[in-house]
Amino acid sequence: MGIFMILFTLLGGITLSAQSAINGTFSRKAGTIETTFLTFITGTMFLALIILFFGQGNLFAIFEVPIWQLSAVFLGVLFLLFNVFAVPKIGVIATSITVIIGQLVIGVVIDHFGWFNSLVIPLSMKRWFALLFMIIALYFIYKGNKRSIEEASANIIN
Amino acid sequence: MIRYIAYIFALLAGVALSFEGAIYGELGKTIGQLETSFYNFFVGAIILSLLWLFFGKGKISHVTKAPKWTLLGGSLGVVYLTAIVISVPFVGVGITMVAVIIGQLIMSMVIEHFGWLGSKKTRINKEKIFAVISMVIALILVN
Repeated sequence: MGIFMILFTLLGGITLSAQSAINGTFSRKAGTIETTFLTFITGTMFLALIILFFGQGNLFAIFEVPIWQLSAVFLGVLFLLFNVFAVPKIGVIATSITVIIGQLVIGVVIDHFGWFNSLVIPLSMKRWFALLFMIIALYFIYKGNKRSIEEASANIIN
Repeated sequence: MIRYIAYIFALLAGVALSFEGAIYGELGKTIGQLETSFYNFFVGAIILSLLWLFFGKGKISHVTKAPKWTLLGGSLGVVYLTAIVISVPFVGVGITMVAVIIGQLIMSMVIEHFGWLGSKKTRINKEKIFAVISMVIALILVN
């Protein structure tokens, strides 16, 4: 069961990169805001169906929760807008790696301080090394991306 | 120049995602996880309709002309989300995150190498492979 679940989750990651690529393609013709808008509209429709059949929570409790919990939607919007903006400029893999680094760095900081009622996980030596490897990854993706773009445009000229 | 801005925006997108995840974790405890995603997409659509009305310069009418597969972005986001919601209780957040990110990175590289899904064709090179390996090491160290 465990292995099956891990494969299933890998599939989740695969769909995420496909989403970035597809949205990047669509935005070249339709624009960044328009693509993000469409993604939210279709996402809403699919989720409405899923909730109707499988929803076990209580949607109407949103009127009772603290407002700061609802404000996360602005972050969700920013995330997708920035993502759709970046893909046509630097490509899918560079966008993915950079987003993940931003996510992990802040994730480590949130854990360290225990913000938003999260579990407090102090910044250990291991995690400092993790941050170092992320910087190395960012450096390599920038270099590698620059090289393959240069090679691609050289091929067009030849 | 525009390339640097794109990298900075991508970093900020990740930052936003992390805060979003932490906050929605709390919201999910009250209203449920699927309901939280629905809230995000529904209210997000409202915010974007306003943004589009006031600042949209592109062509939304492209929806009717574009190949249908380019409209699948939103539904794939939902597949991703559902995969996570289902697998976390079985294998835990740590392994789920590592698996998702590895799947995402390897597939991104393959998609671009072949220029699938309309992406610009850029070949895999050793720098990119080093970058992915460094990310995998970082992920293992974080967990």
